[in-house]
Amino acid sequence: MEEIGSVSQWILNIAGHQMVLNKETLIMTWIVMAFWVLFALLATRTTKLVPNPLQSAAELLVATWDDLVKDSLDLTDRRYFPFICTIFLLFWISDMLGIIPFLSEPTKDINTTLSLGVMGFVVAHYSGIKFKGFKRYIKDYFEPIFFMMPLNLIGEMAKVISISFRLFGNMMGGSIIILVVSYLIYSLVLPPILYAFFGLFIGTIQAFVFTMLTLVYISVQIK
Amino acid sequence: MDVEFIVKAGQYIGAGLCMGFGAIGAAVGEGLTGGWANRSIARRPEMASPFTRTMLVGQAVAETSAIFALMVAVLLLFTDLSGNGICASAAAISAGLAMGLGAFGSGIGAGYSSLEAIWGTSRQPLVGGQMTTTMLVGQAVCQTPAIFALVIAFLLVFKDYSGISAWPYSAALLGAGIAMGFGAIGSGWGGGQAGGAACEGFARQPRLKGSLTTLMLVGQAVAQTPAIFALLIALMLIAMGPKDGNLLVSCAMLGAGISIGLGATGSGMGNGITSESACRAISRTSSVTRPMMTFMLVGQAVGQTPVIFSLMISLMLIFGNYAGPVTLPGAMALLAAGISMGFGAIGPGYGNGLTAAKACEALGMQPDKTGLIMRTMLIAQAVAQSTAIYALVIAFVLMFVV
Repeated sequence: MEEIGSVSQWILNIAGHQMVLNKETLIMTWIVMAFWVLFALLATRTTKLVPNPLQSAAELLVATWDDLVKDSLDLTDRRYFPFICTIFLLFWISDMLGIIPFLSEPTKDINTTLSLGVMGFVVAHYSGIKFKGFKRYIKDYFEPIFFMMPLNLIGEMAKVISISFRLFGNMMGGSIIILVVSYLIYSLVLPPILYAFFGLFIGTIQAFVFTMLTLVYISVQIK
Repeated sequence: MDVEFIVKAGQYIGAGLCMGFGAIGAAVGEGLTGGWANRSIARRPEMASPFTRTMLVGQAVAETSAIFALMVAVLLLFTDLSGNGICASAAAISAGLAMGLGAFGSGIGAGYSSLEAIWGTSRQPLVGGQMTTTMLVGQAVCQTPAIFALVIAFLLVFKDYSGISAWPYSAALLGAGIAMGFGAIGSGWGGGQAGGAACEGFARQPRLKGSLTTLMLVGQAVAQTPAIFALLIALMLIAMGPKDGNLLVSCAMLGAGISIGLGATGSGMGNGITSESACRAISRTSSVTRPMMTFMLVGQAVGQTPVIFSLMISLMLIFGNYAGPVTLPGAMALLAAGISMGFGAIGPGYGNGLTAAKACEALGMQPDKTGLIMRTMLIAQAVAQSTAIYALVIAFVLMFVV
């Protein structure tokens, strides 16, 4: 049970400043990226009109998200599609990584989810300024009445917190539950079922929720 | 007083709390089921015996959570924990709270699932045995929070506390019990309502069984998130709770438990009724099955924002730095921060769920107006959320300014 809350870190000294790197998170994120690069290379190696299984899987993924992005944004071009689809692919495999022995989910680390949450926030607000113009963007903070401004500001900040803590809490909770159950019963039967539930099922749902919320936040800003 | 007496006293109080609270939910759920079984018999008197059978099966599952409570109560009564150290007293009370309150929501929820199953069979007698399967799946998932509570109760009873001084670790253990006990209520109750709606929908549209079960399971899994957060904080308090410290640390640990425990009730209920309405809507308008999933998930995710504020306050209270001067007002401010965020999150979580539930129904009635309904839902939820933000601001002021 001592593993709970322990983090293995590299602490680098750069010009008098300490830089802390979470070793496990970094390596696992690179594994996820390597997986997708490999997948993309293999799936597009021989693209044909009648696709092989890998190519159809890739097409299904891309087409599903293309539809979802088109439905929620009502734009004619695909400018937000790569960003949204990448978030989902990254988090989807990240959440499921824990079912492989010796690997762990990078989304267990609040830094991963918070940085992607902040990225979505920045993209949403940049799009808001670009689509509505700076004056209307600022004016929207004073809706419905002018003194709602501080609340609207905190509300926007709260979105970042809620989106990143939701994914983090679910993944961290799942992995700690598995650890404790394994510690309590020393059995082979229950932990694999729990891994399947938290990794495959909850992980997929939460990756989808994170991506959909980023999409909704963007669509609220640009309309 | 002797350590032995204090531990014994704690065990008895824990056993009483456990069985007292634990008896509420299952009995209410069984009563509901029985009542609706009679209504169904009034509708179709010739099917009285299958109704009675389904009723008994459903009631037996609803009873499970009360039996968990009975088990923990008996364990607390007849196990000698006095060798475990002084903290075993708080651990026993806490185990009782966790299991007693934790059984509440799951018992009622399981009752909702089985009453809809019987009522649905009376509407559509041909579904027969398949209805029982749907009911059992729904009940099994809404039973999960009670199982989380059972895990926490066992962990609290069997952990070795020898050599640890009474405070602040006792406060951390009590916080864990409160977090898990209250945290399981909303998710169990709401999950059961979703299971009930899936049974009703199955009776209306038997060919939609697959999509209904999927929607129900996804909705219940998301509604379970608040209970998972509560479990996370409870486990952190047990595993990482401070072994030494002052009054500030004690109050902070208790506050962390109260914040997430109470905060999880509203969001769990709200998420549950959202997925209930989603299931009902697709059984009436089957063409919205695909957009409904996305719609429900967005509504539930926004409805979870209050419990995420609670989670954040709990984490900040657990990992805070309490090196400053120890004063009574300072300690109470930390406790009050947890109370403010905990109670403050109940209403917004439930209210957001009500908004999202009606929005799901609206989508079923006007499938073409997805964008308009979604926008209205998000605006309404943002306004309902503002009260949770007030509570968050006051909690921050209590933690960092006062």
